[in-house]
Amino acid sequence: MSALSEGWRIQTRVIGALMIRELNTRFGRDNIGFLWICAEPMLFAGLVGLVWSFIRGPEENGIGIVAFIGSGYIPLTFFRSAVGRSNKVVEANSGLMYHRQIKMLDFVFTRVFIEMIGAMMAYVFFAGALGLVGLFPIPANPGILIAGFLLYALFTLSVCLILAPLSELSEVIEKLLPVTTYIMIPFSGTFQLNSWLSPSVRAVELWSPPANAMEIMRLGLFGDKVHPYYDLSSTLAISAVLMMIGLIMSRRMRRDIVVA
Amino acid sequence: MIVCEGLGKSYKHGGRRKQVLANINFSVGPGDRLGLLGRNGAGKSTLIRLLGGVEMPSEGRVRRDMTMSWPLALDGGFQGSLTGYDNARFIARIYGREFADIRAFIEDFTELGRQLSNPMKTYSSGMRARLAFGLSLAIEFDCYLIDEVIAVGDANFQRKCQFELFERRADRAIIIASHSTEQVRSVCKSALVLDGGRGVLYDDVEAAIAAYEQL
Repeated sequence: MSALSEGWRIQTRVIGALMIRELNTRFGRDNIGFLWICAEPMLFAGLVGLVWSFIRGPEENGIGIVAFIGSGYIPLTFFRSAVGRSNKVVEANSGLMYHRQIKMLDFVFTRVFIEMIGAMMAYVFFAGALGLVGLFPIPANPGILIAGFLLYALFTLSVCLILAPLSELSEVIEKLLPVTTYIMIPFSGTFQLNSWLSPSVRAVELWSPPANAMEIMRLGLFGDKVHPYYDLSSTLAISAVLMMIGLIMSRRMRRDIVVA
Repeated sequence: MIVCEGLGKSYKHGGRRKQVLANINFSVGPGDRLGLLGRNGAGKSTLIRLLGGVEMPSEGRVRRDMTMSWPLALDGGFQGSLTGYDNARFIARIYGREFADIRAFIEDFTELGRQLSNPMKTYSSGMRARLAFGLSLAIEFDCYLIDEVIAVGDANFQRKCQFELFERRADRAIIIASHSTEQVRSVCKSALVLDGGRGVLYDDVEAAIAAYEQL
């Protein structure tokens, strides 16, 4: 038990140090620094929301379209950037492997965590700014909204845990990533609610962890305006299985890492 | 004690495995100074990395019952885009030390002055060696792993290493890979000669140097 708590103490220390280092190298210390991490998702969410409101009008099924798109797009940019940053994460950091207490997994946790915090801040700023002009609702149930976001983050982490070792093994992965995250959009729940879909399509979406997590976030945000369909157990089970696979792959790969 | 038991390492290379080290056995206790001798490619650096836990052994294991520095080598351990101070802060954090305690020591030991505020990629190898040594001495380890790196320093740096490491910290264990038989002769009490993946341990440094020069 003491070995476990000692390990926990060391790993939290390492991840904290890695996060500070990552923020320094990525954003520097000058200017608004790491607030830039919010800029990209907010721009995406705002502009895509704007385009949609021109095409579809200001509301869809009683839900404001800008709020709807924004609430979907910010988590999606989190997923995409976390996945992109897990690619070759070990190679990029291999100089730090000289310090024995830094584990491969620490790199993945650090990057996913930073992206997650960035997305959460972007969400809050976006909602706050649009909320002032009445384009974003006050969350009907913040607890459910946060739970949905954490579920989305859990799935993102589990994908990244597989991707980090996989991208070291195969060059092809890097090439396939952009198209894969693009193809994934219909299964991410970003642009739809499950109640808008036909029962057969909905049955497929219920197997998609991000679609389920997004549905839960929308329920927390829009409350009664949403008639939610989601499957919590499949989301948790799929994420857990992916995470196990990722952890086993990382462990096996560690033996063969050649540190430059 | 640091104990190597049946340590071996092979690398996959184009579908084939190349055995770099096989069945290496030795132990190092407090105050011991082991030199690693061998020609280029004999596996000195690989052994240092296995000892430091940077790479994992293919066979056998390393038992560490005392604290051990990261391998002090020409590269590794630092981030080039960060300044010397930022790297020092990072290392202080991951080893659970206060940067304020370490700062004064590295400023004095490295004599790098304002260079410490510049990115490490602008450092010469001698400057990097100074900072790596300064940090590892400030953190205080029971065992120091040194890969060639003292040789890149100037006379002043070598004098400082001599005093801070070999004299003031005479109770610490040191494992040092070196091509300099002179250095091994002056620092080490025993030596491991690596050749063809095998290691032969000599308690007499002179005998080890004689064997190395025969290779």
